[in-house]
Amino acid sequence: MWGLRSSRTVILGLATVVFVFACFLPLLYMIALSLEPGSVARTYRVLLLDARQRDLLYNSAALGGGAALLSTVLGVPLGVGLAWLAIPCKRLFRLALVAPLLLPPYVVGLAWIYLGSSTGIVATVAGRDFLSEWTYSLSAAIAVLGLVYYPLSMLATEVAVRRVDARLEEAALLVAPPGRVFAKITLPLAAPAIGAAALVIFVLAVSDFGVPGLLRVRVFTTEVFTAFSALYDFGRATALTVPLMVLATIVAVVATALVGDRLVAGRRALGGSRPLGFDRWRITISLFGAVVLIAALAMPLAVLVREALGAESIATVVRGSWSAIQASIMLAAIGATLVVAIAVWLGYARARAGLVVGRLADVLFVVLFAVPSTVVGVGLIGLWNRAGPFGQLYATDAMLLLAYLARFVPVAALVLAASVRQVPVSHEEAAAVAGAGWLRTVFRIVMPQAKLGILAAWIVAFILSFGELGASVLVAPPGESTLPIRIYTLIANTPSSHVAALALLQAAVIFGPLAVLGLATRSREVG
Amino acid sequence: MHPLRHLNVGQILVVLALGFAAACSSGESARDAQRTVTVYVSTDRVFSEPVLQEYQRRTGVRVNAVYDTEETKSTGLANRLLAEKARPQADVFWSNEPVRTLVLKSREVLAPYRSPGADGIPAALIDPDGYWTGFSARMRVIAYNTKTVTPADAPQSVFDLADPRWKGQVAMADPRFGSTSFHVAALYAVAGDEKMDDFFRRLKANDVRIVDGNSVVRDLVARGEVKVGLTDTDDVNVALENGQPIAMVLPDRGGLGVPVMPNMVSLIANAPHPEEARKLIDYLLSADVERQLAQSDAVQIPLHAGVQGPKNIPAIDTFKPMTLDYTKAAARVEDVTQRLASILGL
Repeated sequence: MWGLRSSRTVILGLATVVFVFACFLPLLYMIALSLEPGSVARTYRVLLLDARQRDLLYNSAALGGGAALLSTVLGVPLGVGLAWLAIPCKRLFRLALVAPLLLPPYVVGLAWIYLGSSTGIVATVAGRDFLSEWTYSLSAAIAVLGLVYYPLSMLATEVAVRRVDARLEEAALLVAPPGRVFAKITLPLAAPAIGAAALVIFVLAVSDFGVPGLLRVRVFTTEVFTAFSALYDFGRATALTVPLMVLATIVAVVATALVGDRLVAGRRALGGSRPLGFDRWRITISLFGAVVLIAALAMPLAVLVREALGAESIATVVRGSWSAIQASIMLAAIGATLVVAIAVWLGYARARAGLVVGRLADVLFVVLFAVPSTVVGVGLIGLWNRAGPFGQLYATDAMLLLAYLARFVPVAALVLAASVRQVPVSHEEAAAVAGAGWLRTVFRIVMPQAKLGILAAWIVAFILSFGELGASVLVAPPGESTLPIRIYTLIANTPSSHVAALALLQAAVIFGPLAVLGLATRSREVG
Repeated sequence: MHPLRHLNVGQILVVLALGFAAACSSGESARDAQRTVTVYVSTDRVFSEPVLQEYQRRTGVRVNAVYDTEETKSTGLANRLLAEKARPQADVFWSNEPVRTLVLKSREVLAPYRSPGADGIPAALIDPDGYWTGFSARMRVIAYNTKTVTPADAPQSVFDLADPRWKGQVAMADPRFGSTSFHVAALYAVAGDEKMDDFFRRLKANDVRIVDGNSVVRDLVARGEVKVGLTDTDDVNVALENGQPIAMVLPDRGGLGVPVMPNMVSLIANAPHPEEARKLIDYLLSADVERQLAQSDAVQIPLHAGVQGPKNIPAIDTFKPMTLDYTKAAARVEDVTQRLASILGL
């Protein structure tokens, strides 16, 4: 099966080459730049573990760990509920629960400031300020990021739980109560996917700059940003990426060791049956979802709408954004498709790899995903802005697509690996015995069973690509821009009402296509 | 049948290929028939875009503009110009404060060009080597809330902000970025390290609020969350035009002088379209553009004599500007950034 000319070798080899080229090279270029002779000591002395560095390490770890924990606590029950329970208007409920992911974290942070600052809504209504000190804190940053990213945990959990064979749960229910069945059967089998989502959220949180910058929390990303923006020092900025990558490595190693690599046998029976005995959780989960929606979506939207209504003319705000909207949707859609097209093979390779290679791959994906977007952007400029064939692509929209590949192939591979792991190897072996080639087996056996995971990965890649700013600002062709670039270039010296209106526009634009996709995709709903 | 089952792998690959091909063809090669000039702009888009669109309308030259984000939102165009140095895409750099331009000059990203449009601009605001020319300036000011502070009580000097009577009532933008970084570097260059270190320690002890940007400072002052703040003239003007309870003081008129921040325009070294670049620079330095920027919400102060200034802002010849070597001030930025990071706990 691994012969030099076998389709498996060729395709997985090609995907690996593209992965190295797209995701690794920009970082390697920046590291090479930082190792210029004569400046290495000056550049890397920032890594000395003094008190400042220890503070950064603690804040970054706490931010990532806290956001991942909160997202998991919120997302797992909701994911289980969506997979098992007959919740009224489930499709709309799911769409609403996913919606917080569409709001840029920075904008949600803004909404919290409008709410909790010393002259915010709470202080105005209560007549005194008791919230502003918490509003600008590490805890607030954790809360904001946890509320933005819980949909990732929710989606991963739903997909994983749907893949658990209902017969296992039904058999266990004969001798154990539903809670014990959930804890001993369902949760362990869904753990790899939940763990992968938690890892992704951890990396998203530690690599975020907007929220900690806004809420004045000092983390490594703010230091990287300072090295670029205040000091124009590429080497120093790259050096400051190293602790971030070390932190991501440690967390990834620990997480993969704890979560393990359990495989799931079988799939749910046809017709979408669900294990009996969990219906009594329906009201609880529905109420829980409503509370989460209020905190994560309704509140920030209400605050933004209130601010936006102060704008003199919403039409003025959105005028001229139509080409940016079109560009964003098209580029995000193409980018997500390219990302998934490559990541699906990487995810397959990881899912079918041995224990050691598989865990190394997980760590590698996490570390690459943690690289700050600006480092990626500057690396892409250095690699592609040169004479010759490479230079033909520079200053075209292809650079934005390359930025999306560089940033999001690792996270998509993580998501897809978790999904493919739930497809039994025995199905592929049976197909091989029946005479089917590897490629045919993958397209006819593996991918159909992993299609929910593929869809989830596409949605995640689309949302992340749409909202990508740090690398896009650096590589977008002159004269053209995406919606986030347009919004952030207009924010300066624009009233907060206009900022709020533009943020709502971004959320609405991205929500539209996803809502259509969500409603058009008929999944096997329970009940 | 499920709607998405109509798609097969071949169809998806065809769509991918078409999309990628469209993305690759979106560059300048598709617009070769038209004259073009590429300008990187760090002046706020809401102010600069109309100026560039007007140039495009008058001349028929397509202006490919790349705008900057607010300085604390992304790393900005200066880094893009540095990264593209080996093969520049930009022809012109239009900056709204001196630090970025002078960093680029020191890194050999700029080329000299002495534009005839600079005639009439004070010599102090033109680079002796010809790498940059200043136009349409702003000033650093102390904004105060008129409901809680009277004109007589308003601080008249930056150093007054460390007075205990303003404890917890002073806001300033992060001094590591943007026009505030220029301001603090200028103060260190003019007043000296010892005096400025002491001032910032006292400011820290006074519970100064460090915020995201100058517009945030303005909003805090206008809402009464703080009584005073350091910001720019154009930021205060936005609040004045909206009828908010805010006014401004030109600080240190009788002392160090008022910090003046001109816009700066520069030719990029090895620019792809040098002739069009020079024409655009000539246009930006014209009295006509200064008039546009003065009369718009940008309220930038014209440097050409005879051009009417904005209504809420004093003319440049009515106060004492800070006597400043912009190159020396810019050279202090890295050192000052590190000092303030330590003193202010940034």
